[in-house]
Amino acid sequence: MNLDAKIPEGPLADKWDNHLFNMKLINPANRRKYKIIVVGTGLAGGAAAATLAEQGYNVEAFTYNDSPRRAHSIAAQGGINAAKNYPNDGDSIRRLFYDTIKGGDFRAREANVYRLAQVSNNIIDQCVAQGVPFARDYGGLLANRSFGGAQVSRTFYARGQTGQQLLLGAYSALVRQIGLGTVTMHTRKEMADIVLIDGQCRGIITRDLLTGEVESHVADAVILATGGYGNVFFLSTNAQACNVTAAYRAYKKGAGFANPCFTQIHPTCIPVSGDHQSKLTLMSESLRNDGRIWVPKNKGDKRKPADIPEEERDYYLERKYPSFGNLSPRDISSRAAKEACDDGRGVASTGYGVYLDFADAIKRLGRDKIEERYGNLFEMYERITDDDPYTTPMMIYPASHYTMGGLWVDYNLMSNIPGLHVGGEANFSDHGANRLGASALMQGLSDGYFVLPSTVPHYLATNGPFEKVTKDHPEFKKAEAEVRDKVSRLMSIKGKHTPTYFHRELGKIMWEYCGMARNEAGLKKALELIPQVREEFWKDVTVTGDAQNLNTVLEKAMRVADFLEFAEVLVHDALERDESCGSHFRTEHQYPDGEAMRNDKDFAHVGVWEFQGVGKKPLRHKEELQYENVKFAVRSYK
Amino acid sequence: MKITLMVWRQKCCKEQGKIEKFVVDNVEEDMSFLEMFDILNERLILEGKDPIAFDHDCREGICGACSMTINGVPHGHEHGTTTCQLHMRKFKDGDTIYVEPFRNKAFPVIKDLVVDRTAYERIMQAGGFVSVATGNAKDANNLPISKENADLAMDAAACIGCGACASSCPNGSAMLFVSAKVGQFALLPQGQPERKRRVLAMIKQMEKDGFGGCTNMYECEAACPKNVSVRFIAKMNRDYLRASLFTKSK
Amino acid sequence: MGLLSYLKSTILSKWVMAITGCILVLFICGHAVGNLQILLGSDTYNTYAAFLQGLGEILWIIRIGLFVCLVLHLITSIRLKLLNNSARPTAYQYKSFLKAKLTSRTMIWTGIMIFAFLTYHLLHFTAGVTNPVEYDQHEVVINGKSGIAQEIPNDPRILAQLPPTLQTTTVDGKLYAVQEEVKTAETRHDVYKMVVLGFRNPITSLVYIIGVILLGFHLSHAIQSMFQTAGFNHPKYTPWIIQGSNALAVIVVLCLISIPITILTGLVGGTI
Repeated sequence: MNLDAKIPEGPLADKWDNHLFNMKLINPANRRKYKIIVVGTGLAGGAAAATLAEQGYNVEAFTYNDSPRRAHSIAAQGGINAAKNYPNDGDSIRRLFYDTIKGGDFRAREANVYRLAQVSNNIIDQCVAQGVPFARDYGGLLANRSFGGAQVSRTFYARGQTGQQLLLGAYSALVRQIGLGTVTMHTRKEMADIVLIDGQCRGIITRDLLTGEVESHVADAVILATGGYGNVFFLSTNAQACNVTAAYRAYKKGAGFANPCFTQIHPTCIPVSGDHQSKLTLMSESLRNDGRIWVPKNKGDKRKPADIPEEERDYYLERKYPSFGNLSPRDISSRAAKEACDDGRGVASTGYGVYLDFADAIKRLGRDKIEERYGNLFEMYERITDDDPYTTPMMIYPASHYTMGGLWVDYNLMSNIPGLHVGGEANFSDHGANRLGASALMQGLSDGYFVLPSTVPHYLATNGPFEKVTKDHPEFKKAEAEVRDKVSRLMSIKGKHTPTYFHRELGKIMWEYCGMARNEAGLKKALELIPQVREEFWKDVTVTGDAQNLNTVLEKAMRVADFLEFAEVLVHDALERDESCGSHFRTEHQYPDGEAMRNDKDFAHVGVWEFQGVGKKPLRHKEELQYENVKFAVRSYK
Repeated sequence: MKITLMVWRQKCCKEQGKIEKFVVDNVEEDMSFLEMFDILNERLILEGKDPIAFDHDCREGICGACSMTINGVPHGHEHGTTTCQLHMRKFKDGDTIYVEPFRNKAFPVIKDLVVDRTAYERIMQAGGFVSVATGNAKDANNLPISKENADLAMDAAACIGCGACASSCPNGSAMLFVSAKVGQFALLPQGQPERKRRVLAMIKQMEKDGFGGCTNMYECEAACPKNVSVRFIAKMNRDYLRASLFTKSK
Repeated sequence: MGLLSYLKSTILSKWVMAITGCILVLFICGHAVGNLQILLGSDTYNTYAAFLQGLGEILWIIRIGLFVCLVLHLITSIRLKLLNNSARPTAYQYKSFLKAKLTSRTMIWTGIMIFAFLTYHLLHFTAGVTNPVEYDQHEVVINGKSGIAQEIPNDPRILAQLPPTLQTTTVDGKLYAVQEEVKTAETRHDVYKMVVLGFRNPITSLVYIIGVILLGFHLSHAIQSMFQTAGFNHPKYTPWIIQGSNALAVIVVLCLISIPITILTGLVGGTI
């Protein structure tokens, strides 16, 4: 597997500018002769499709939703980082770069992260120009707030709906191009496979979710912006339909899957209330600015929170991390909550919850102030749980949220398959082992607005013009047949369990053995259990209805089938990465105080997996990470 | 809780639909409305029946996919709440609940509770944007915008494009949706160059798609899960008149 | 099409509804206040009526203007209603409303009924078609004053017995006795008597009361709706506009139904 990152020469700060100059261009008159397929219409996909169309390329965009505006980027709440330094508090491109590298626990590529920090400022400009209503001060200028993992105020936000507003911005650019006829939009079509011809990615196979039709789409280059795989845990903050299929299909066709074990667990979600639960709802991290996290000191203390006296409460984050306290980073807070609950001191009906208490803040600041800061979040919490956070503490628990891992890409965001580009959460490139808050939106838009629209044309110019290929090419026919075969196999099993049942079973295994804290024995256990569930799935799943109509059961079954194969890759990666770093915590590797112990000597690399066959252990490759501008340091939040 | 559901079943757009009755026994108060449907659907699948198709995705009230009309009101009677955020504790044991798809000529039923909302897409394509290509932007703070206007624009921009407005409106009018987008841009300096063209184009497309006209009944505002105000419709009426009077017709 | 091409646009149609509606509302307010003068007695009321009649061409301009408004209001609303109905081809099996009030949902129906009522009203009091006998009332005005002349038979014997202070005068072939020197003498339409006789019939009064209440329903939504269509909606003022709209509708209704009620109860025109 060729894992040349193609990082441009020159000093870090000049790499991207040099590269922009060195990349090949295509004459405006020739651009419409090239067809680019974009799968996924979230921040990365939507922005890339719109921008490439603006440049004059012939773009076809795909989403399984009924509208590009429903991509799950829309659910991001907190904000988007940029190194504008408007508050004049010492921020700079270099500081944003450094914070991101450090936040990612030194497992991200320097050059990519530096570029991300560089274009972050252009993103804000672009979004404002599109009419994104960012929060403003009374002077009419943009407001900033602070977020975890940074000592400067660099987060731009639009109430608690930043993701929505940014997505609607990208969506508006996209609909403009659709209206102009430069983008052909395919809704309710799910990508089922990619097609390689002579080693180049030349198109995709989709399944129309309304008619069941399996179709081929030919292109000169393909961009996957298909999001993360957090739903491998069944319960997550992801949308119901988020899935790994597109990325996993590419992986099966030879694309490397990088660092799949880097999955972020968000500490402040509403706890599970029962078996019926379909998703976990995130409560913005900003709540931890004023809330105090605690559990009872005594095991099995079932008293009401108000009845537990101060001396019988354990404010464990304040106790363990006196300097950062309740604002400790996501991975650390999440693990501490898990420890307390595993110790039998958890609250909520299930015992898997901790209190987030605003009583002190309300006493100190007054209810009005708290309402002004968190009113909408409190309202949302009350709607879901029927508890009033003003009078009784909130209950929270960590949940799977974001996946740093993804398809391996080089500096041009191209995978090891020529022509197959990957953007946004679907690639692995910028967040290392842990993503900082408000960086996901930044990366999605950086990829979509600025990186892919420069690097994809470079690929086309370097490799084009391409050999004319039609849908009748045997490779397309073969891939179509495989998809149809998979559908009919699923339809014909007629077993006793629903696809959701298997998804839930998989989720339990993943959360138990490959969740917030992992160890060798558990991971090996997971490697035994996952194939069993998969085998059972293919023997005993039932799919009702027919394949020629809208069939939500079949959709689910197709996605679960891929999760069941992909989960194994994730666990393999977690097992092989025999260190703790960022979100990946191996209980074998910790300092005596429970902090994660990195092993830079053996694991300062990207672990990239190559498919060898279902059920067979994939091959692990390494891309060594070179740190020329930052020095390894132990993350400490004490 | 035991809940009786009267659900609209329709195989596809061409076929006639009808109400079908389902009784769900083990409903818990903490369940969301959609989780109740999940349970029912799991049961239907195991019985070998076709589960009830409904649109949903994020389940946190922001993607705008869910589209059920519950007891005659899109997203149900709960104020400012999408179907996915509606919880069963708002109902009583033994309740009978009518669940129908969003209804509008421009939103044909695809199957059961799933409707086709591409009409909204076409309206957006007609003018729901600021024509600014990537890379053309000047520094964001070169354009001060009063906090009041920015906040008001955000109120309009909160629209999730779910279609509840057009489906609750006895006239099937999409004015709230259109006015939210028109209003957002009309409040911002970025939206001014295309202000007249935008409102004319979006309204033209809205009417072409067969949406009705507004007669100020304000049912849309009451059904809107994001509390978008009919104030934006008023603003748009003004904008539209001005644009009609002072634009050369093509 | 030409002039009617605005009908293609729902928003321009709404503007037409609002502008014509606004004119009609102003007319109704004036009409209500003007006719309330019936409570002040026959002379005031008939003088007012005569003043209106005396406007001549201006009256016709007003009448034609109002007629055009009415027709536009009607055509536009019907066209909008048809369009709106076609936008909702399938009804909900179970429908409930959160904010749409009965008044706002039934505008077209109250409007059509008001139109029917208005037609009757015009035939009744303006054209005198439905009740020609009661319509045909006249009074003699001497020196600008009504009620001072008494009709006497043109019989020489009676004339001979008249006190010398009395003057006689002949108007429209009839002989009248007057207490003062006659400078001018003319007849005018006795609208007061016509109205009183008209409303003495309880069924007619009932029709009017119903018609006016329907008008009230229509106005309570129409007035505030006018502001919304014209683009005036502000959280500070809109609640007041809504209240004001309801209040104005109630005032108009009270003004207008006070006429048949006072007549039926004998408070007005009891001596006729």
